[in-house]
Amino acid sequence: MIVEHLPILNLILFMSMALVIPLLRRQPFKITLILGFIVLGLVSVSSIYLLYHVNQFDAIHYTLGGHDTRFGIELLVDPFSALFTTIIVLLASIIYVYSSGDRTEGIEPNEYGRYYVLLFVLLMSLFGVLYTNDLFNTYVFIEILSITTCALISIKRKREAYSSAFRYVMMNELGSLSYLFGVALLYMATGITNISLIGQALQTAYETYPFNVVIALTFMMIGLGIKAAIFPFHVWLPDAHSSAPSTSSSLLSAIVIKVYVLVLIKILFRVFNVEILLDLNMRTVLLVVAGIGMIMGSVFAIAQQDVKRMLGYSSVAQIGYILLGIGLLSWEGLRASFFHILSHGLMKTALFLSAGEIIYYKRTRRVNDFDGIGFIMPVAMSVFSIAALGMIGLPFTSGFISKLYLGTALLDGRQVVFLGVLIVSSLLNVMYYLPIIILAFLKNEKYQYRLTSIERAPSTMIGPLVLLGLLIVLLGVMPQPIMQLIDAAVHTLIP
Amino acid sequence: MYRFRDIKVFDKMVKSNSILVGLSLLLLVWFVAYASDWFGWSIWLQQTDWYAQLLVSGWIDYLPLLIIVIPLIGSFVELYCAKASPRFRDQAVIYTGFITLVVVLFSYPLILDNDVSFELANVFDLGLSFRIDTLGYIVLLLSAYLWFYVMVYAHVYMQREKHSTRFFFFLGLTYATVIGAIVAGDLLTMFVFFEVMTVSSYMLVIHGQNEESYQAGYKYLVMGLIGGFLIFAAIVLMYFNVGDLGFDSAIVQLAELGATRYWIIGLIVLGFGVKAGMAPLHVWLPKAHPVAPSPASALLSGVMIKIGAFGIIRAVTSYYFPTKDMMVGGDDPIWFTASTIGAILIWVGIVTMTIGVFLALLQANMKKMLAYHSISQMGYIIVGIGVAMYLGYKGALGYGGAVYHIVNHALFKSLLFMVAGVVYYHTHEQNMYKLGGLWKKLPVTTVVFLIAALGISGVPLFNGYVSKTMLHHAIVEAHEYGSSIFLYAEWIFLLVSAGTVCSFVKMFYYVFIRKTDNAYPDATFDFSSFDVALWAIAILIVWIGWNPNFLLDALVIPQLNRMAYSSDFIDHYVVGINVFAGEDLLVTLGILGFGGVMFVIGDKLHLFHKTLPKWLSIEYWFFLPAFLVMRGVCRRMYGKRFRIDDKEYEQLNEISNDRLGFIERFIITSNVVNRRYEQSLIRKDALIYSVLLMVLLLWMMMDQLIL
Repeated sequence: MIVEHLPILNLILFMSMALVIPLLRRQPFKITLILGFIVLGLVSVSSIYLLYHVNQFDAIHYTLGGHDTRFGIELLVDPFSALFTTIIVLLASIIYVYSSGDRTEGIEPNEYGRYYVLLFVLLMSLFGVLYTNDLFNTYVFIEILSITTCALISIKRKREAYSSAFRYVMMNELGSLSYLFGVALLYMATGITNISLIGQALQTAYETYPFNVVIALTFMMIGLGIKAAIFPFHVWLPDAHSSAPSTSSSLLSAIVIKVYVLVLIKILFRVFNVEILLDLNMRTVLLVVAGIGMIMGSVFAIAQQDVKRMLGYSSVAQIGYILLGIGLLSWEGLRASFFHILSHGLMKTALFLSAGEIIYYKRTRRVNDFDGIGFIMPVAMSVFSIAALGMIGLPFTSGFISKLYLGTALLDGRQVVFLGVLIVSSLLNVMYYLPIIILAFLKNEKYQYRLTSIERAPSTMIGPLVLLGLLIVLLGVMPQPIMQLIDAAVHTLIP
Repeated sequence: MYRFRDIKVFDKMVKSNSILVGLSLLLLVWFVAYASDWFGWSIWLQQTDWYAQLLVSGWIDYLPLLIIVIPLIGSFVELYCAKASPRFRDQAVIYTGFITLVVVLFSYPLILDNDVSFELANVFDLGLSFRIDTLGYIVLLLSAYLWFYVMVYAHVYMQREKHSTRFFFFLGLTYATVIGAIVAGDLLTMFVFFEVMTVSSYMLVIHGQNEESYQAGYKYLVMGLIGGFLIFAAIVLMYFNVGDLGFDSAIVQLAELGATRYWIIGLIVLGFGVKAGMAPLHVWLPKAHPVAPSPASALLSGVMIKIGAFGIIRAVTSYYFPTKDMMVGGDDPIWFTASTIGAILIWVGIVTMTIGVFLALLQANMKKMLAYHSISQMGYIIVGIGVAMYLGYKGALGYGGAVYHIVNHALFKSLLFMVAGVVYYHTHEQNMYKLGGLWKKLPVTTVVFLIAALGISGVPLFNGYVSKTMLHHAIVEAHEYGSSIFLYAEWIFLLVSAGTVCSFVKMFYYVFIRKTDNAYPDATFDFSSFDVALWAIAILIVWIGWNPNFLLDALVIPQLNRMAYSSDFIDHYVVGINVFAGEDLLVTLGILGFGGVMFVIGDKLHLFHKTLPKWLSIEYWFFLPAFLVMRGVCRRMYGKRFRIDDKEYEQLNEISNDRLGFIERFIITSNVVNRRYEQSLIRKDALIYSVLLMVLLLWMMMDQLIL
């Protein structure tokens, strides 16, 4: 059956696309774009088909080279990985369309090819991380991901880009190695690296080698925590996201850090299980870390003058929301955090891209210079406002629905205190998002008369923004269809 | 500009507006005729085939949605018409208001027959539902009338303001959301519309676009959103614990919850209380209402703060009261929760009305004074709600008084704001100590003002008297049937009423009567849509004053009979209540006299010009601890390697709230903390990493290590 080969074909498509780009001689930018559209379109179609297939029929197990799962690498496409690969490829396509419009702002023309090579390698590794059902193979893909991310951050040939990329590499290598150490300890205790098999073997391993298992869990959590920018380890994120081009910032903030969280979810719920985690008091750890992150991320964001740094800190806070859902270690919590992964993905992409358009035309990143932007760039600023109101959690946006789910999940887990944290954090969001909207739409109206032509951006930039704004509202009004897919995904983690 | 004899007419739409307003009053006559069944109309209508078919057809279920959608479409039509000419735009606005009014008015028979309800399943996951019952209908009818008159009024007023298209657009949007909040059938729907209302009415508050309005607007928006978050928390708690958000009795499930039921009710009351201007949460109101253009402040004070009070009544009396079918008596423990909260609410209301009236007496700005009176009058309403809950089974009078006062206050307060707007329009002055002698220039406005002032002062034959008397009776009952401590509440209640009288004597004297040298060249004897709108509301005020029992019989008593209140009690105290009894008149006379004396003394001793010291304000005490903590944190964070940044430190030492706001202080502190944290992390990445690793390990292995 061809369906079974679709996952590996997706990876191969991305990889071959990345290999083809450097070979192009004539009009590289144009042909790259066209080829990229075709590849992303094909992968989108196959991902959606896979999503349909696994939800309708059964999960797909694909063993590379036909080796036994004990020794070989297994790709597992189940509702969980199929859902998130679909979300990733769709979001990435939106960002890709936008990047063709702004010609990836700030990159020198002869670097375009390099940028797209990195982009497709990045997508390949994202898909790999999600598809693979093998701890060590996950590590391999994570390393590819780290290195491409680092290159994407430093692509701008600027001093601050290099320094933040260096900082990123230092922190993330620490994370990768911690993760690898954890994998090694688990391998020592069980002799396998396949996630499903470890999951079955771990109960006995936990009884025979409790320290191995506990230390492995600690290292993996800290490692992935660094990579996902969970609060005390978030220091690399604001710099890295602010110095990268807007399109890569949105990729990094909306997708890449979420994938690390998804790996963490896989490890927590598939390798370990809820009983072991509860036995180790993991719930308290995760909830406290999440709560502190939600508050502190927003507090730091308030003080920022650079809009992209502000959005970066906001991501730190939002990762806290997602972690809060995970930390409940319950069906409802996981459901809420999956929905928030999607809704934050949409909102943060919208925010970074609309801010990117403003930066592209206005050549400023200071929040205070946004006065009156609403008059010259109505579309960009409207989408920014919708997404920002979503972050605050007003009704009619997806942010409201995720807060609703998260709130009920918190009560279900008897964690009423964190409902208060959730509300305080929303309030802090009000404090830094609202002034920007007010500034942009109500102050400095001289623009209104000075500029005759408004919003000169090409439709390839406007289109994705409008689409994102509509999706945020649509998801906020009608979350049902997505929730069915999410429920199926949660089923694979918590039976 | 043309003249009818000596009267200047500068408003070209005045004729059509007069006709429309006259039509609206005629419709009201129809309404009265139907409700009191003149000539057997209502029975005739109910027997027609056409009516019977309408009831079965199912079309009427869409009524709530229709009433929301009309103003929504109207606001977009207005946006489109504005491109053609301002006149078309204003016509679109006024006709939208009129059509909504007509639809609302003609739905009365349907609503009296049965609750109209409608559901949109699956929207927002939990589904939205709409329901119009008599309580909702009272507020709906009131808003429809007021909004229409204010739109007529705004047509003239906004001619001198910039961006009036934007103003009318957001006015229409706010109208739709206000209606949505009124016809909501569950807490989630109400919350959704309530939040959107906060955001869209923000645009009305900051319409002036100067520094003052931005500050007031920011406070309005942030406090409104905080209220929204509190309601959101209540929704989540309610949904989780009860499983249903519809406005039906949930007291059986709630009674089993222990302390959580007090959390839910507390969050609901606080959340809606922010919008209603309840005592410690009222700080936004006296700032936001005066800076808005007069039509907007009339609606803010007339309708939007009522939505807060309406939300409290709606949510609390539906969730925390038993249903009529449960047939519980007065001694049933099921009333206990409502009763406890009711007792607190009575005192909150008393504090609110006292603070409001006391500060109102010290104001020089007319609109600011009116805004403080809004707070004070909301105190009356909250007292009514408090009695309705405190007495439980016997609380019908408090409920009726609160609802009636919502109607009355909306009428006279919006009229007062509109009069203040007319005065400002002609004189460009809001400080009443600088005005004076306007009765010669604006005689019509003076009469209208007098009517509204008599209404708010509670003079017999004007509307305020009716509801104030009912509330007075209610509070007397609170100490007769409940605790005797509410005797003091009654005294304060009477004192506050006297203060209100004093305040309006003062305003009338300073603005209209007092002799000054001002010539007011702008103020000519004219006739415009202003007068039409003002007179229409004034007629309503006088009409209610003369026929106090009509609204009770037509709208309030049907609602009371649907609730779990004792029907003996309703028959005895509410049905056919005679507000013109000798004793009540005597009390009123006392209040009026005392108010007059207060004015004379205050004016002679110049007490009205006093300003209060800073440390008395609520904000000062609210923010002081936060300021001290922030300064302390900054001092700690500056160490050897991080030299004290003198500028920042000095800024934080600033005591005055005006010069350095809360947000700025917060930003400075956050910057300091952030710098300290991130810079030290670069140096000690590995250290932090290993420390956290060890902490986590120890935490997880705690059990094993101890064992």
